[in-house]
Amino acid sequence: MEKGSNVGLAKARARSTAKAATVFLLPALVLIAVFIVYPVFDTFAISGFKWNGISADRIFIGIDNWKELIKDEMFWKSFKHNLIVMVFSILLQIPIGMALATFLDAGGKKFNIFKIIWFLPYLMSSVAIAFLFVYALATNGGLISSLATLIKGQRTTVDLLGTAPNALYTIIGVMAWQFTPFYMVYFIAGYGNIDTTIYEAAIIDGATRGQYIRHIAIPLLGPIFKTACTMSLIGSLKYFDMIWNMTQGGPAGTTELMATYMYKLSFQQFNMGYGSTVAAGMFILITAIALLFNKVFKVKEDY
Amino acid sequence: MKKKLLATLLATAFAVTTLVGCGGSNAAAPAAESSDNKTAETTEAADVTADAAATTGKQTDGKNVPVLTTEPMEITLWDISTEDPNKSIAEAAVARFEADYPNIKVNHIHQQNDTYKQQLVVAMSSGQCPDIYVHWGGGPMAEYYKSGFANDITDMYAKYDHPEYVEAAVAQSSYDGKMLAIPFSGLTGCDIFYNKTIFANLGLEIPQTIDELEEVCETLKSNGYIPFTLANASKWTGSMYYMYLVARHSGNAEFDAAYTQENGGSFTSPAFIYAGEKIQDWVRKGYFPDGVNSLSADDNQDRALLYDGSAAMMLHGQWQVGGIKADNEEWYNENIGVFRFPEDSEAKAAGVPQNVEIGTAIGMGMTFNCFKEDGSVDQDKLDACFVLATQYFNDDTYNAAQVAAGTVPSIKGFNENIDDPNNKYCIDVFFNASNVQLWYDQYLPASVTEVHKNCMTELFGLEKTPEEIGEEQDAAMQKALAE
Amino acid sequence: MTDNNKTNTMGQTKEVDYRKEKIKSRIAWTFAIILALIWLALTLTPFFFMIMNSFRKQFDMLQQGVFHLPDPWIIENYTEVVTHGFFGYFLRSVIVVGVSLVLMLVISAFAAYPLSRMKFKLNPFIYAGIVAMMSVPMHVTLIPVFKLTTAVGLYDSYWSLIGPYVAFALPMSVFILTAFMKTIPKEIEESAEIDGCNRYQNFFRMILPLSKSGLSTLAIYNGVSMWNEFAFANTFLNSPNQKTLPLALGQFKGEHSLNIPINMSVLTLSVLPMIILFIIFQDKLVKGMMAGAVKG
Repeated sequence: MEKGSNVGLAKARARSTAKAATVFLLPALVLIAVFIVYPVFDTFAISGFKWNGISADRIFIGIDNWKELIKDEMFWKSFKHNLIVMVFSILLQIPIGMALATFLDAGGKKFNIFKIIWFLPYLMSSVAIAFLFVYALATNGGLISSLATLIKGQRTTVDLLGTAPNALYTIIGVMAWQFTPFYMVYFIAGYGNIDTTIYEAAIIDGATRGQYIRHIAIPLLGPIFKTACTMSLIGSLKYFDMIWNMTQGGPAGTTELMATYMYKLSFQQFNMGYGSTVAAGMFILITAIALLFNKVFKVKEDY
Repeated sequence: MKKKLLATLLATAFAVTTLVGCGGSNAAAPAAESSDNKTAETTEAADVTADAAATTGKQTDGKNVPVLTTEPMEITLWDISTEDPNKSIAEAAVARFEADYPNIKVNHIHQQNDTYKQQLVVAMSSGQCPDIYVHWGGGPMAEYYKSGFANDITDMYAKYDHPEYVEAAVAQSSYDGKMLAIPFSGLTGCDIFYNKTIFANLGLEIPQTIDELEEVCETLKSNGYIPFTLANASKWTGSMYYMYLVARHSGNAEFDAAYTQENGGSFTSPAFIYAGEKIQDWVRKGYFPDGVNSLSADDNQDRALLYDGSAAMMLHGQWQVGGIKADNEEWYNENIGVFRFPEDSEAKAAGVPQNVEIGTAIGMGMTFNCFKEDGSVDQDKLDACFVLATQYFNDDTYNAAQVAAGTVPSIKGFNENIDDPNNKYCIDVFFNASNVQLWYDQYLPASVTEVHKNCMTELFGLEKTPEEIGEEQDAAMQKALAE
Repeated sequence: MTDNNKTNTMGQTKEVDYRKEKIKSRIAWTFAIILALIWLALTLTPFFFMIMNSFRKQFDMLQQGVFHLPDPWIIENYTEVVTHGFFGYFLRSVIVVGVSLVLMLVISAFAAYPLSRMKFKLNPFIYAGIVAMMSVPMHVTLIPVFKLTTAVGLYDSYWSLIGPYVAFALPMSVFILTAFMKTIPKEIEESAEIDGCNRYQNFFRMILPLSKSGLSTLAIYNGVSMWNEFAFANTFLNSPNQKTLPLALGQFKGEHSLNIPINMSVLTLSVLPMIILFIIFQDKLVKGMMAGAVKG
């Protein structure tokens, strides 16, 4: 620790804090600057051009792309899809993940087998998930349609991926299936982080397990809970992988998300200029929603 | 506490050393492997050269081809031949070239098909465009050329020896009157594959007209079969029906007009409305599987319906022959036959040609990107690329291997001697065509393609009328033309 | 009821309450276990069919249906995969993911420490900035990072993946770790400071070990996504002797040919090590570290 006169102590402390903070933050900030911030600037720069992505000629067109973005129905439709996905992802993934974690936390070691199997979906690659669900949900010979046929006693098809709005909600279900395990593990870790003495004290005080969870564990998990929601929120707003493998935005754009729209424009339709505008718009919207969310659900912090 | 910290540190240190260890050993392993390969290759190459020198010399000897440099040179070639047999056929062609021109090293890279277009965009925009790359022609080829990533080889094509490609292939390799690509992956027709056993059991004849086709569908339907298996989540699959109905109703005339949007050309002209209405009528009558928009051709869901005997016909590209054969040759031989898309008798009476077929005459083409830093043509490299593409790809060995693998080279005379009867049929249809219309989704500008594909979903999903999708495609086409 | 010993000597009413609680909790448990089993079936089924389909021929799969058990069972898919350089792909993936993960964990813990536990002017801004970077869609970085990679001569080398993998995992990881570190009571640090630890010692002795559960969650989260990462790997790597595991699939996918069972066997083989690792390390997740820390 630095030594100083009483007067300069606070200042010296602040200075040493700043120094320490810089040392600790530097590696992360450098990497983020090089690999993320720079590309973001690049994206904003390209959004000012009409450019097919490959030609040496770029035509500067100012804010024309942005004007087009504002009145681009497809973009706002994708954004709306993203919002739906976001709301349902948070409503499904977080509570189910929490419930599973609570179950496992209460059950202890004897439920390890549950934990391992429940975690499997998160380990599978999106390619495999997309393939299996496309078949499981198929109108011909798929699990759901077969089940419906069995129940009704006559040939019944349930078209979950081929029509709007079913397709979008189906995708949301598959996403929940894929990501809930992660939130489960996340909340298990959260429970693990709670001082065991707190639990012991609560039990000694005669609290039941349920009371402990309701009144002690969940409030203590506040910040963890909020980060989980933020992750789910951001994740669902920039989602790409599985939807690309499952529907590519179809049928007829009803599962188009901002990321798939941007990808098609930039890499398949030779419209990098506008694709970058979509990406930049996407970045602004997601950041705004994430910050807003964190503002609204401000958890009391003390440090 | 201290113990725990120590343990953690030790564990981390251990992990780090293990990883470093791993890194070292692994870095060495592939290197050793590749050098092994190289030695093997060079020995083999040396053998071949020795052989060749002893007997015939280079395989280009005596041919009118450009004289290649004797300086060391490296050529990067990108294709999408990730799988055998295509992979080994392509690699063998490169090996023959390298044996004849040992100073030239071909850096042959197989890219994955589904992200190939993105790979090209990234490479081109970063100055890493390969010297030779493959593509499907159509709109994107024009875009590559306009952006300066394609050599104009019209003069070279006229001056030097090359295989005699069929006219449609040359046309498809050209843009704006300039030859931009060398075909190498064969031509592909699009016809109706059907289950012979089902047809025989029901006493069905091959339909010659669309009316007869509809009768066949009715019979199939009333016997509990799905007439057509179609996986329209992929969209280009449904487009095949649309394209054929347009072609049978109007030949090439209306599509060509709609493409330019001039002289009243429109995607709402009679042939397009006819095609759209026919399709929607067929959907309502149950000629396609339920939930047709949810089935995916990428996952072979259309073939599955054929295999389990629930569907009787499938309009598809000729590659299905190879695909089905690879899955089960015995079943294929027993059950699969093919016929061309039936004729529109009314249009025929009105004099509309009934032999415009859908398909691709080149499959893929190879385009060269040989430019110097200052933007001028790197002729030495271009010569080498041209020789590689025309004399080693497309040589007798290559073509024989292609035919054996079920691909028919886009070269005159190769329509003879095809063993597989279905393949033979498809090729004959192709060669008898007055014109071959390239798939819309490859022919149209990329932005219109996307709209067209979505329209196919809406058409088969009965969500929009043929007029509505026509207007949407018109709007997209006009926007693309304006740019 | 404040004291357990007293409860035992109390009257009958308490006994009844106790029994009621017990019955209530038994019902709750039964209910919970039924739900748990349903979820078990939901998570296991697709996985089960992925493995089943890797043991059959494509024709059989398409003809009998994906949800039919293999008949006959074949292992040729696996021999095909294994003889096509699978282990090379596997080893490179292990290296890339291992190195990236260790770097990422260390760097993000470094960054989360000041953000969660130090007061300085820029703190909220840097934190907000990092949170904002989470919303960057990955595909916009492809071209700039590709240019960077070619500029430093790492194009077509699997080492080129480490930079983007670490950098892309950072915003989310810093964000999560900050939240985790905030749950560590401030008193722990204060007492350490009184003992004469400076901030650096503090970090290594107290904060890092106490964040273990957060770190292991991150290791799982990022480990899995790095292991399955396709877009960067596909763009940066060309040579077969550089490619990582997610690209192994591409070998069995042609333009018009997709052999699904072979793909399923590749996917099964690549998910197995993850499962084994998870089984080994999942225990670490539930162990509360705080008790140990307080005692130590």
